[in-house]
Amino acid sequence: MASSDKAPDSMPVGDGSVPPGKPMTMGHQVVDKTAQMLQTLKPIKQMSQHVCTFAVYGHDMSRQIETHHYITRLNQDFLQCAVYDSDEPTARLIGVEYIVSDRILDTLPPDEQKLWHSHDHEVTSGMWMNPGVPEMNQRSELENMAHTYGKFWCTWQVDRGDKLPLGAPALMMSPQMVNMSVIKPELVRERDRKFKISTDEARKSRVNFPVSKPGNARVADYWMHTGKSFAVDIEQVEMKDLGGQKIPSI
Amino acid sequence: MDPVHASILPEVPGEKTKIGTSLVDTAAATIQSFGPTKQIHQHLCAFHFYADDMTRQVEAHHYCGHLNEDMRQCLIYDRPDADARLIGLEYIVTEELFLTLPDTEKPMWHSHEYEVKSGVLFLPGVPGPVERKDLEKVAKTYGKTIHFWQVDRGDELPLGLPQVMMALTRDGQLYPSLAKDVESRYGVSFEKERANRAYMEGPTHGIHPKANAAGIGLKTVLREIECKPSVQSESVPRVFV
Repeated sequence: MASSDKAPDSMPVGDGSVPPGKPMTMGHQVVDKTAQMLQTLKPIKQMSQHVCTFAVYGHDMSRQIETHHYITRLNQDFLQCAVYDSDEPTARLIGVEYIVSDRILDTLPPDEQKLWHSHDHEVTSGMWMNPGVPEMNQRSELENMAHTYGKFWCTWQVDRGDKLPLGAPALMMSPQMVNMSVIKPELVRERDRKFKISTDEARKSRVNFPVSKPGNARVADYWMHTGKSFAVDIEQVEMKDLGGQKIPSI
Repeated sequence: MDPVHASILPEVPGEKTKIGTSLVDTAAATIQSFGPTKQIHQHLCAFHFYADDMTRQVEAHHYCGHLNEDMRQCLIYDRPDADARLIGLEYIVTEELFLTLPDTEKPMWHSHEYEVKSGVLFLPGVPGPVERKDLEKVAKTYGKTIHFWQVDRGDELPLGLPQVMMALTRDGQLYPSLAKDVESRYGVSFEKERANRAYMEGPTHGIHPKANAAGIGLKTVLREIECKPSVQSESVPRVFV
C-alpha cells in the first residue's frame, strides 16, 4: 500500500503551498485563543531546548535535510524531540526523535539497536547547534549529547515535494564522516547564514569532547557496518477485532 | 489484556536529571524562541487503536496547532502531565484536503465524525459551548495518526516500528473501563455530550469509503535494503571543509 522509499501517487498541484489550505478565519482564531487560555498544555511547556541539526534519509542518503528539534528531557538518560522543518511559526511537524544515552542503548537487543544512530560525529562536527545560546553555556549539555544515540522517524517528506504527510514513516540517519552521510557544504553554509552561527568554530571548540566508547556488540549505525539500510512498508492484513474473530482482508 | 492507565506503567529507564543539566536546560529555554511549538494551542483527549488490532486501545492526549484553516498537526502524549511520554503524532485535515489525497493514501487516514458526535473526543477544561464551536469543525475532518511508543504493552522505551493508528467509528468498540476511567478523571459524561452534539454533521460527502482502511487492518513492516547511493561508490571519505 505504501513504502517509505517509494514516491507517493500524485496530488493536485493547487497553488503550490505546503500544506494547501485557507488562512485561519478570525472566528476560528478566537475559539482557539479561548481554549488556549483555559488549558494548561503541560507537556508542551516542558520543552527546554531548540536544536538545529541535519539528518539524512536512511533509504537515500543523497537526501539531506535541516531539522529543528524541540526537546524535552525526561531524565538524565532520555530525551524526546518534536522535529520540524524550520524554526518559524509556519514550520511543518516532520517527525519525532528519541535520544538515549549510550548506557541505555547497550541494554537494547540488536534488532532494536539497528534502528538507532550515533550522535558523536553530529555533535563534534558542529552540526548540532542551539541557535541563540552561546557555545560555552551549552558545553556540558553538548558533552552529554555526544554520548547519545537517536531514533528518528520522519512522517512528512517535505523535501520530496509532498504537500501533505504521505506514505509510510521513514527511518532517518545521522550525519557521519563517511560517504554520502557527509552533509553537503552548501546546506551547512545556508544554515549558518540564517542563524548567524559558525559550524566551523563550533567544531574547533568541540574537538576534545570525549566520545562514546562502543560497547562490545553495538549495532547502531547499521548501514556503516553492513552497507544496508531500512525502508518501512505499510501492508494490508487481517484486523484483529473485538469479537476475537478475524475480519478477512479484502 | 485489560487496558490500564498510562500513569501506572513503568518509568522510563535512566538516572534522575542532574541539577546541573536541568539548570543548563532552563537557561537555554529562556533565551531561545520556540516558534513552531508556540502554535500549539489546544489539548484534545481521544482514543486510538492499533490499525491491525482493535483490542489494543490507547488514551491519547493531543496537543494541536493550526498550519492553516484546513490543517492541524498534533503531538500525542500518553497523559497530560509534565513527565508525559511523547508517543506519537497526528495530522488533521478538512474533508476538502482529504479528497485531494491519492486513493492509495486515503486508507491510512481515519474519520472523526463518530468520536466527536459520541462525546468521547473532548477538550479537557474547556466549557461545552466553546468546545463545541471547534468540535463541529473537527467532526468533518480526517486524521492520520502514527504512534512510536507502545506504552500499552508496557514498553519502557519507544521500541520497534511506527504503528498506524485508527479511531473509533461506531458504538461497541470502546472498552467501557477505559471510557469510565476518563469520564471520572475529567468529570465529563460522554452520554451528555452526545446529546449536546446531536446537531453536528460529519463530512459533507459522507465518510469516504476508503477512509479508516475501509475496515481492514494495516501493519508496518521493516524491509532491509541496499544503501543508496552505494557505499562502495566512494572509497575515500569526502572531506568536510
